[in-house]
Amino acid sequence: MSIPSDVPVGAPPTTGAPEGIDGEAFAPSRGRPIRSVAARRSPPGLVTMLVRFQSLLALVLVFVGGIVFSPRRDGQPLFLTTENLANIVRSVSETGIIAVGMTFVIIAGGIDLSVGAVLGLAGVATATLLVDHGWDGVPAVVAVVLAGGLFGLAQGAVSARLRIQAFIVTLAGLQVARGLARIASGDKFINISYGDGPHQASPSFAHLGDRIFGVLPVSALVFLLVGAAASVLLNTTRFGRHVFAVGGNERAARLSGISVQRVRIATFGLCGMLAATSGILHSGQLNFANPNDGTGYELTAIAAVVIGGTSLFGGEGSVIGTLAGALLLGALNNVLQLNNVNANLQLIATGLIIVAAAALQTLVRSGSET
Amino acid sequence: MTTHSRRHRVLGGLSLAGTLILAAACSSAASGTGTSSGGSVAPAGALAKRCGPSGSYTIGFAQANNAEPYRQRVDADLQAAVKKYPNFKLVIADGQGDSNKQVTDVENFLTQQVDLLMISPFEAQPLTPVVSKVFQSRIPVIELDRQTEGDQYTAFVGGDNQNIGKQAGTYVATRLLSGGGEVAILEGLPSTTPAIQRTEGFKQGVAANAKIKVVAVQPADWLPDKAQTVFDAMLRANPNIKVVYANNDLMANGAYLALKGQNKIGQVAVIGTDGLPDPAGGIHAVLNGQLTATLVYPTGAGEALDLAKRILLDCATSVGRNTVVPTTLITKDNAQAVLDRVPS
Repeated sequence: MSIPSDVPVGAPPTTGAPEGIDGEAFAPSRGRPIRSVAARRSPPGLVTMLVRFQSLLALVLVFVGGIVFSPRRDGQPLFLTTENLANIVRSVSETGIIAVGMTFVIIAGGIDLSVGAVLGLAGVATATLLVDHGWDGVPAVVAVVLAGGLFGLAQGAVSARLRIQAFIVTLAGLQVARGLARIASGDKFINISYGDGPHQASPSFAHLGDRIFGVLPVSALVFLLVGAAASVLLNTTRFGRHVFAVGGNERAARLSGISVQRVRIATFGLCGMLAATSGILHSGQLNFANPNDGTGYELTAIAAVVIGGTSLFGGEGSVIGTLAGALLLGALNNVLQLNNVNANLQLIATGLIIVAAAALQTLVRSGSET
Repeated sequence: MTTHSRRHRVLGGLSLAGTLILAAACSSAASGTGTSSGGSVAPAGALAKRCGPSGSYTIGFAQANNAEPYRQRVDADLQAAVKKYPNFKLVIADGQGDSNKQVTDVENFLTQQVDLLMISPFEAQPLTPVVSKVFQSRIPVIELDRQTEGDQYTAFVGGDNQNIGKQAGTYVATRLLSGGGEVAILEGLPSTTPAIQRTEGFKQGVAANAKIKVVAVQPADWLPDKAQTVFDAMLRANPNIKVVYANNDLMANGAYLALKGQNKIGQVAVIGTDGLPDPAGGIHAVLNGQLTATLVYPTGAGEALDLAKRILLDCATSVGRNTVVPTTLITKDNAQAVLDRVPS
């Protein structure tokens, strides 16, 4: 699930680059050892398997724990009720969608700190287009998603062309997006009410807050669909292979003819689009836009990505893992809250899970280097 | 092979530790929802689904943001006040200053079927649908300090910000500056209701004295550091300012620091709002002379729990829809006495 076993970490399969060059010759220049492709190809041991599916396993663990410890009504665990499960998916849908975009950026060796602010900006932009400019739902959504993509592309381009670390560029992007959001909103909150009157939003937009068949929230469905599409994109397309290649060994990727810059820039564009999507859902669910919304969402998203087994060094990771990581965080908070665990302890529990996930990865990495 | 088994052990240990943490966290609180018991099916017309003096009840409180000092005080007051009612179990969820998170919190309370929901909505409109849903499922809703939109709740308990500002203004107009003079205002975050109402009320209050002139009004977003910068500039532009009114005590502290920086302590009276009894709060600041006065913004915890008692234990069929909790003007004369009355 995490990395298809036929895709070597360092180079795309089409190049036929000798493994020795790929695995060793360039390692010193990267400043960290790169596992040889041969090692990856050896039959996976139990531990490797455990790590590859760590977030799914942990999700199952939390799920079982949720059922065991769930308060019951009429003998039925509350945790397992359809509505509760739908609520869990809804609660992580916004940070989850962001985390999916972040997965691409991180696998390609970058990071995007601007996503929370882009969510806030997209929420405000959507609300402004609907309420003040009378746009219909669909064009407003399309425009904002595209604008989010452009914002991401711009950040990627600045990072790539000016050779500034993604951390710095997107830190700046965070400030810019937050400032733009405050300007666009006139430093005010925007209430979205629906109708045909002036300063009312098109009723078509209200469906984003619906629940399909009265159960599955639209935002949850979008999250799952985005996850599925992104997983296919990452695992089965040339672009996906290039993302892994660029993050795994930049020089090898370049030598094999991949436009490293273009791939990196594209991951930022994708991430920006998904952050904007999340912002649209945010304002649609809350019928409200606050330019300060989304503060700290980037960190929750990065947490989901890390728990999902994606390496912050790049070159490794999976969308499925990220989905599981995001759902795990939601399920964990839900279980704790259903059991009335102190809200501050919930934060600590999340922190411990992140450390445990990272520890697992490091453990296996150090193991496979020997 | 040895490294392998060592890794296995460490891994096993990690996952075991994780499971234990979860188990401990859950079992330590597993007495949670399960404890709602007893009570009888409510008589017709009662506000609660289940009520009566013999039952035990879970009250879920969806707090807007545990990170703010005022909201921590609300939590503490509620926890202190709930001790009077052995039938009540109070559970607090932290919205973390994020409406999205708070909606999830309320959904979880609904899943748990708490017996009563208390909420300080972080933002009105985003929380309105989910609170309506709770209310329509016949769970009574008491809104604390902030309201959702519409009428889908049982009761509201809170202070009157306009009146608090007005009392501060009256105090300045009749006592501090009865002879007139220049006054400045430090506002909270623009567009927030308390900032607007407190400032408006204060202007009304000082208007009673025609010799008082409001020479500067600037927002400092509730923040002490920003207030220090803003008031420092105000004071340089208007050196004759005699009183500064801040929409909260944190900004009042910032104003005090600006005075200190310009060696003007004692020449300008500083009035704050909130009057929290904590060591870092406004009442202590009045006692040690940093603030001339502050106005208590009451948490309403006692009043809210009293309503909960009437709804759940007394099976009330109606309660007052709006409970306005009165404020108190704190000066050096009564600060110690007020502190002594605070339950620990």
